Amino acid sequence: MTGSAERPAVLVYRHPGTPPAVLRQVCAGAEEEGVPTEVVDAPDGGDATALAHAAAQASRLDVGIGLDASGAAAVHHGKLPERGPAATTGLDGTPADWRRAGRTAARVVKGLPLG
Amino acid sequence: MSTRDDGPPGTQLVVGVDIGNSTTEACLAEIGPDGSISYLGTNLTRTTGVKGTPDNTAGALSAIRGALARGGRSAGEVHRVLLNEATPVISGLAMETITETIITESTMIGHNPTTPGGEGLGVGTTRSIGELGEQEPGQPVVCVVPPGWDFDDAAAAINAAVGSGVEVVAAILAGDDAVLVTNRLVRPVPVVDEVAAVEKVPLGMLAAVEVAAPGRTIRTLSNSYGLATVFGLDPAETRQVSPVARALTGNRSAVVVRTPSGDVTDRRIPVGELVLRGAGKTLRVDVDAGAEAIMDAVARAQPLDDAHGEPGTHVGGMLAQVRDTMADVMDSPGQPAVPVSDIAIRDVLAVDTFVPAEVRGGLAGEVALENAVALAAMVRTSRSRMQLVADLVSEGLGAEAAIGGIEGEMAVNGALTTPGVDRPVAVLDLGGGSTDAALLTREGKCTAVHVAGAGELVTKLIDSELALGDREVAEGVKWFPLAKVESFFHIRHEDGTVQFFDEPLPPHVYARVVVLTPEGPAPVPTRHGLDSVRRVRREAKRRVFVVNALRALRQVAPAGNLRALEFVVLLGGSALDFEIPDMIADALAPHGIVCGTGNVLGTEGPRNAVASGLVRAYAAAPVRAGQGPTR
Repeated sequence: MTGSAERPAVLVYRHPGTPPAVLRQVCAGAEEEGVPTEVVDAPDGGDATALAHAAAQASRLDVGIGLDASGAAAVHHGKLPERGPAATTGLDGTPADWRRAGRTAARVVKGLPLG
Repeated sequence: MSTRDDGPPGTQLVVGVDIGNSTTEACLAEIGPDGSISYLGTNLTRTTGVKGTPDNTAGALSAIRGALARGGRSAGEVHRVLLNEATPVISGLAMETITETIITESTMIGHNPTTPGGEGLGVGTTRSIGELGEQEPGQPVVCVVPPGWDFDDAAAAINAAVGSGVEVVAAILAGDDAVLVTNRLVRPVPVVDEVAAVEKVPLGMLAAVEVAAPGRTIRTLSNSYGLATVFGLDPAETRQVSPVARALTGNRSAVVVRTPSGDVTDRRIPVGELVLRGAGKTLRVDVDAGAEAIMDAVARAQPLDDAHGEPGTHVGGMLAQVRDTMADVMDSPGQPAVPVSDIAIRDVLAVDTFVPAEVRGGLAGEVALENAVALAAMVRTSRSRMQLVADLVSEGLGAEAAIGGIEGEMAVNGALTTPGVDRPVAVLDLGGGSTDAALLTREGKCTAVHVAGAGELVTKLIDSELALGDREVAEGVKWFPLAKVESFFHIRHEDGTVQFFDEPLPPHVYARVVVLTPEGPAPVPTRHGLDSVRRVRREAKRRVFVVNALRALRQVAPAGNLRALEFVVLLGGSALDFEIPDMIADALAPHGIVCGTGNVLGTEGPRNAVASGLVRAYAAAPVRAGQGPTR
């Protein structure tokens, strides 16, 4: 795991087993909102929510996304309690759900409603 | 004054009961031989059934029992129950949309996607992305991307076409991908996305796509001469497209397609006329003439004898329905039917409003603000069945029950217990369906009026103007102050003060405009900012309650002169509102009137005025002789 990012970005902590399609859509969701992402490999770090929490702690924007091997995604803010993420997708997420997770992370950064 | 458990000879335990449209209130008191009053307890319950009908009995009994429990007395001790003489008042609401925007031949896309791509203006012929390769080089093209195209594939197809010499100047997408596609283009162009019905965009036609920089609005397509320049229009054609320019004003992005007879029209919908009868005249007014014209006609037909709307219109249906409901309520088995002349519309309030409506012919769910007229109507009868309610209450409680006085008079009587109030005094009862006023002169003469339109109409205006489509949410917006959730831990109230929370706020309220209910912040589902929601809320209250306060007070004031009123006491549920009393006081201040929310008995606030007034009237009756006044 690399250290905290140099430029302000939503950090995406990705388990090596994360399906590439999930990562692609999550990043696209944030990009469409105009917020940069930075992907970091997280070899071990618990479930998506724990990864997202760690990512949010390290992000200069206070916002992180966690992706686990099953394809589940979680969005976290650095000031929220670890087990209370801003949003999560289930195990049977669709591309639209993954896109929405990225979009939600970007909207936390921008201070816009998440829905 | 004393509150003994067992009154000495000559003391009487009485209960005043006020059956209102929505609440039933009771006031328990002991009256001494000298007419002195000891108040023992009050209570408030929901009214059962329509006011003035036998269904009220259950609510009245529960209000009485509650007051007895609070005063520590039993039903057997009650000397007399005093009910208000109240004629049933039923109100109805209707709304007629009087304008309609129609887009023909899919000429225009005027929605506001949150994230369009690129920047600038592109003018070219519309072509589907699948046919870009067949395009002759050197002719500007607007690329239309149907649903299902991935952003990488779309960008690659456009880049390939550009590479082979096709001049792609803009794109229109079905999905929410504009920024993603633009970021991948070799030569970025303006891109409008989230066009749900993109397959209806006419192909092979000249089109213009404009996207403004963030924080800016489009400049060319919202300008009639800009459209004329882009499409080479003559003055006659320019006149025709000016509605398109107007419809696009304020957008960050837009598409206009030039088709042979494409148009955006702003149509006025005829919604029939309203027939008002009163003051010996019959006046007809077109509902689509707007609230001002309707209220002008209502004023000329004062006092109103009746009103009818055109059958088949919302207003006509509403007026007929209010009348029918009243007829049903008044008919009782074994009795002759109530004559129609007894059931007449006695007041109408018209309010201009707007309704955000989806544009017919729109490709992306465009919404236009259409003009509408909201109407509240009120019907009352001269017949009351309150004596029957009194008989039933008497039977249910095992104590004598009688009509103790007329509602308006009793309300003023109770309002006089507010500290600092003296005759002449007027009360304004701000209810749900009607706004009622009563005046008690220095000489003791009392006059009362009911006018249509109150809390329910405010809720309806808020609901439709903010397109909430949910009455409960609209009620919340009406009752509670607004705030903006600014982070997971703090909100900014509508007055600018900031409040911090120890526990994080739930994600579903993050960055939203919320109403601060007792259960916590509840989101207002709207794209409007806090200031717009606040403006809609306050305007709805002003157009109903301030307008009606002035209308009702002018009807009871001597010679219609508000200056002749000295004290105005606000009563009823909406007098508990956090801003309506201030708005009315502001409106009355220039007339030299003291106006404020009542505080009945010095403790009850704007509640219990009629019930307390009934007790006071009974205590003041000169000849009681142990029996109390008889009707």
